[in-house]
This record gives sequence, structure tokens and C-alpha cells, in this order.
Amino acid sequence: MRQPGQRRWQCNTCSEIYDEARGLPEYGIAAGTRFEDLPDDWECPMCGTPKSDFSLLDE
Amino acid sequence: MTPPIIPTDLIAPAFNPATFGQRGAVHEIFRRLRREYPLAVAEVPGFDPHWIVTRHADLREVTRQDKIFHSSDRSKTLASQLAEQLMREYTGGAPHIFKTLVHMDEPEHTQYRQVTQAQFMPQALDALDDRVRETARRHVDRMATLGDTCDFATDVAFLYPLEVIHDVIGIPREDHAQMLRLTQWLFTYADPDLCRPGANITDPAEIIKTWDIVYREFKDYYEGVIRDRRACPRHDVASLIANGTVNGCPMDERAMISYYVIASTAGHDTTSATTAMSMWVLAENPPLLEKLKANPALILGFVEESIRWATPVQQFVRSAAEDYTLRGQQIRKGDLLYLSYVSANRDEEVFEDPYEFRPERSPNRHIGFGFGGHVCLGQHLARREMRAFWEELIPRLQSVEMADEGRMAESEFVCGPKSVPIRFRMN
Repeated sequence: MRQPGQRRWQCNTCSEIYDEARGLPEYGIAAGTRFEDLPDDWECPMCGTPKSDFSLLDE
Repeated sequence: MTPPIIPTDLIAPAFNPATFGQRGAVHEIFRRLRREYPLAVAEVPGFDPHWIVTRHADLREVTRQDKIFHSSDRSKTLASQLAEQLMREYTGGAPHIFKTLVHMDEPEHTQYRQVTQAQFMPQALDALDDRVRETARRHVDRMATLGDTCDFATDVAFLYPLEVIHDVIGIPREDHAQMLRLTQWLFTYADPDLCRPGANITDPAEIIKTWDIVYREFKDYYEGVIRDRRACPRHDVASLIANGTVNGCPMDERAMISYYVIASTAGHDTTSATTAMSMWVLAENPPLLEKLKANPALILGFVEESIRWATPVQQFVRSAAEDYTLRGQQIRKGDLLYLSYVSANRDEEVFEDPYEFRPERSPNRHIGFGFGGHVCLGQHLARREMRAFWEELIPRLQSVEMADEGRMAESEFVCGPKSVPIRFRMN
């Protein structure tokens, strides 16, 4: 369930979506982890695109 | 430092389409390469030397650096010296018969990709889910009418993804069989059962002759589609391509026709191969069917593991645009790198027990859709259509077993089962 303020971000290369409500538990990122709190060197697990090349999908 | 050279008798079979007809043989070659020659040079007569890249980490390192490892300078797939020479003669200098997204470098690649990218994003595909589900249900219903045996590859797996992608492109169903025929000529040009009738598969030039014929047949077909969609655009991918612009200009002709070709071929053949392989696995593993029936949530993992297991795109080739050090080896500007996806997806350094089919793998780090900027544009659609199909079929499939030997297509590029004879019961 998405909480107020939680957002979704989309990879500009492969369109994979990072959903803050879900996190990526299979990659060790807990549900609720904000995109801003991902490490700076975090990258799209599907295509390797850097964090800086994600776009905010919705508020 | 002299680069390590792979013994020719070890690597040469991987350059022969017939070897891929024997799945075990291919895996045995690459298992040994990963262990003894993880990054080394193949010097196969008739081919320029190629670095054979076998490790998952190395494929990711190469494919995420499109500015260093180019896609457009040389043949993007394994090609003999003669084949590449013929391609340049046929095209007036280009090393490819087709100029698809696969064959482009930046910035051109992204510019062309953006013409259709929005249509393949998850948020756009949400609107197609009901239609895909209905198509899946109809194909499952049809399978139930086939009796208690069928060739799942030809009777089901070849047809369902073919319909899904051509509905998205906007091609009428009466033309789908033609699209399948051309796809098979293109990707399985050397398979005696699937090749173009009359093709001389012992002729080293056959691949280019066939690809040129396929290009011209697609061109003849799609020129009518382009005229139609320019005159009367619809909500389909055919209209996006026909009216698409790059830097404010229409696409060049070869790039536009090739855009349709890649959608009409890679847009279904890889998914068909994976779907056929999934059934092959199920038919040989009765407890797996019971596991999926008991826990339908596992179907997502079943699909992902099937993609890893099938890895329908076996290889791509890149050329180095500058010197680069990879795994301690010196790659020189101009060197060719053969990227073995089938090897990377069995890499023991990444996948525990890589030769076991495990739908529970999480995360499943396969690179069956590629990696980096050239990652498959249609990957989200492919996943959704496979998920829909298996969610419709699994609850109705009471039992399945192989009725005869399955057979792989003979292709060193896109490869999957060409026959999966099964005996089954459905309700």
C-alpha cells in the first residue's frame, strides 16, 4: 500500500519503475525506501542506467 | 601481451548453426570456455578474430558502454568475412542488411528508439492488458481443442506471440502467416526445416542472399502499410513508424523498413522460443506443474527463469572504438567482441546451480533481454504476454509429458525449439 508522499520513478532507458512503496526487497532495498535515499552509485537493476537518469513518474 | 587463443576445435562449433540444434553441445562449449578461456580470442578460418566474452559481468561491462563498444561499425551478429563483404556490396557500404535499433550507435539509436518507446512503456501496456489476456485465453481454448497431443512449438508457441505483436503493430491477422514465414527465413536461415525454400544452406553466401530477399519482401509489404498510415494514421505502432521523424526529418528508407522488420520478427520469435522452451521444461518436470498450480504467484518467476533458460538471442557482436582493458586483457581499437548471452545466463559466478531450472530465483539477474542502452524495447510486453498465457493455461493443464523428442532450431543467432511434441490433458 502506498503511503502519502511515496513516489514512483522510471528508468529513462528501459522504463523499469522504482516504486518507493515496494522498494526492491529482492535486491536488499526495503519497502518504503525513498529514491533519494538510494546510494548515489545505485543503478537500474534491469539495464544498468545510473540513478541520475531516472525520471519522476508521479507524485 | 599476447592474448590467449582458444583452440579452434573447441570454439569453431559455436560458429556453426548446426551445433545449436544440440542444446547440450552448446552449453558444454561455453561451460568449458568460462572455466578455461573466460575472455580469449577465437581464430576461426573464414572469420576475423573475435574476443569471446563468456562471463555475465563482462557482458554487462561491455553492453553498458555503447560509446566504446559500437554496434554500427561492423556486423552486429556473427558474420564470416565473405558475409560481411557481401553485406557491404548489397547495401553500398554498410556492414548490415538491416538498419534496426540493434545496429545503431548514439545519438542515432536513442533518436530512433524514441519514435516508439512510449508505446512499449508499462503505463502504455496497461491499456493493452485486457486485449493480450483475451488473445491468451483464445489460444489456450484452441489448444484444448487439439486433442491429447500436439506440437506445442508449431501449434501454439509460434502463433500466440505472433498475434500479440502484430495486433500492436496493426497488421491484419490474415497476414500473420507471411510474417512468421519471413521471420523463420531470417533467423533460421540455416535450419533445414525452417529455411527459405530453395535456399542452399551449404553455400557460405546463403545467409546474405536470404537476408536480402527477406528485406525486399518486408519492404514490398510495408510500403503499402506506410502509404496507408500516412494517409490515415491509426492508434498503432505502424502509424508511429510511418509518421515518425528523427531530428525533424523522416527516417531514411532502410531504417524505416528495418524498424518494421525488427518489430515483425524479434517482436515475437524470441517470445515464441521462450514459451516453447517453458513447455519443454514443464513436460519433463511433472512436479513443476504441480508447484505452479498450487502457487500461481510463482508464474512470474517461472517466466523469468524461462527467459534465462531459453536465452533466445544467443549472441551479438560489438567492435571496440578505442583501446580498453577488460578482465585484465587488452582490447584494441577495432577488435571484435562476440557476446555470448547464452553463456552469461549460465554463469556460475552469478547463478547458483545454473543448470537447474528454478522459478524461485530472486533476484533473477539474467540478461536475456540484454543490458545497457540497447536493452530490449519490447521486454515489458514480452513478460506480460507470457505471464497472461501461463496464468490462463496452468489452471487448466492437468498433465503434460513429452510425446517424442523435442528439437532445437539450428541457428547461432536467435535460437529456440522448433518442435515440442507433447501429450497433455486439459479441462
